[in-house]
Amino acid sequence: MPYKKLHIEVRNRVGYLRLDGGSRFNKLSVTTIRELKRAFTQLEEDDGVGCILLSGWPGESFAVGADIGQMRPFTPLDAFHFAGLGQSLFVQMERCPTPIIGALNGITMGGGCDLALACDIRIASDKALIAHPGARLGIITGFCGTQKLPRQVGKNRAREVFLTCDRYDARDALQMGLVDRVVAADRFWAEVTHLAERIAAMPPSALAWAKRLVNMAEDTDLQSGCLAEQGAAAQSFCCTPAGLQIS
Amino acid sequence: MSERYCRLELDGPIARLRLPGGAQLSRQALLEALRRHFDHLAEKEEVRGLLLCGQDGQFCRTASDQLMTPFEASRLAGFGQQVLFALEGCGKPVLAALSGEVTGLGLELALACSFMVADRTAQFGFPEIVHGRLPAFGGTQRLTRLVGRALAKQLLFSGELILADEALRVRLVNRLYEPAELEQEALSLLRRICSRSPFALRVGGEVVDAGYDIDLKTACLLERDAFALCFASHDQAEGMASFLEKREPQFTGS
Repeated sequence: MPYKKLHIEVRNRVGYLRLDGGSRFNKLSVTTIRELKRAFTQLEEDDGVGCILLSGWPGESFAVGADIGQMRPFTPLDAFHFAGLGQSLFVQMERCPTPIIGALNGITMGGGCDLALACDIRIASDKALIAHPGARLGIITGFCGTQKLPRQVGKNRAREVFLTCDRYDARDALQMGLVDRVVAADRFWAEVTHLAERIAAMPPSALAWAKRLVNMAEDTDLQSGCLAEQGAAAQSFCCTPAGLQIS
Repeated sequence: MSERYCRLELDGPIARLRLPGGAQLSRQALLEALRRHFDHLAEKEEVRGLLLCGQDGQFCRTASDQLMTPFEASRLAGFGQQVLFALEGCGKPVLAALSGEVTGLGLELALACSFMVADRTAQFGFPEIVHGRLPAFGGTQRLTRLVGRALAKQLLFSGELILADEALRVRLVNRLYEPAELEQEALSLLRRICSRSPFALRVGGEVVDAGYDIDLKTACLLERDAFALCFASHDQAEGMASFLEKREPQFTGS
């Protein structure tokens, strides 16, 4: 089935997932979220993909939240199901054994910010703008942002972002630890591609273990985390790197 | 009685709590005054946000410890913790505008706020260790959660103060201003915050706090349900209608 809201391309072991909603803003509508889930499944199952690069390049936005016009008449139950759908996408991205780079090419707001937080690494163009304007709309985010942003940038920075609804530029985002690197717009695509290709060339099983171990470190006590690491170390000597997979 | 220690100034939706600055009062008396103010404010629906500020270039210094029995010390710590939980749980955004030496109870108060802004004269630390004491109003716990273990230990072990620039770098404070502009800048920031939906600010704040100390999966369930609840509010209908009609929203917090 073809995609309406995004494009997929695989080159040099990198799976490029480009959001393209057909307007200035890549809105996370129900259709877009379902397509993203399908696209991540497709790329995860492709043995020729060692790294996934998610972006809205070369458009003006990375992603924004839901369409306000669509969301306005939601009942609480509609909202409940919508949040559940979005959260299931982010769980899928975190469980996906392939590393996911978020290339924040431009406007990254609301649900789009939460989408970025579900990526393993975030690189921003110096044109990127970040905001979480839920309180301006009379809501909070339902896409894990209230939980992941404080864990990523600290409670007080996260509260400032949610309370003010202000826009932050790429430099602010770097300073608060929301993105890992900022690159000038004219070199942006070359640099993220280079990083993605470098990661994609690594043994997939080691990447998958690294991702899973780091993710589990957050919510696991140190003893159990170290035990899992010990198991991963043993497995990495079981056979040739290329032959290893984790389920 | 409480007027002597800290004065509450109401200005429309904004309340300003002026702490005693450099006047070194006893912690017990100050905490009692604070408790009355916080209880009062939590019930005052028309107040949407609170600014804690000092006076004469100091935020909130307190008298050094008199001799206490272990029982008295434990009672004071328990009482102070309750007061700071009341501040944290008041359901409104609270900013701390800091200058001068921000230590002891002053820093513990600031740590219980939504976030801190400061001027360039501000210095931060917990020098109690020099006398064999530690912060006891939640400071060891809130500081560690905010700046991480290594820096929290550095501050607690050494008793040394860090300067404003350093505090910004390590994300202890969110914004720095010139001393003459601190209070005005903090107020205008708080006014902007208070133009947002009070209901969304309250629910969002509670979900951030409640979710921070539990596992991510359970925390996200909490958030999903709070998100759904927003769609039963006037503020959601008004917020989205005003956005689509390109006008300023009239939030009521209901």
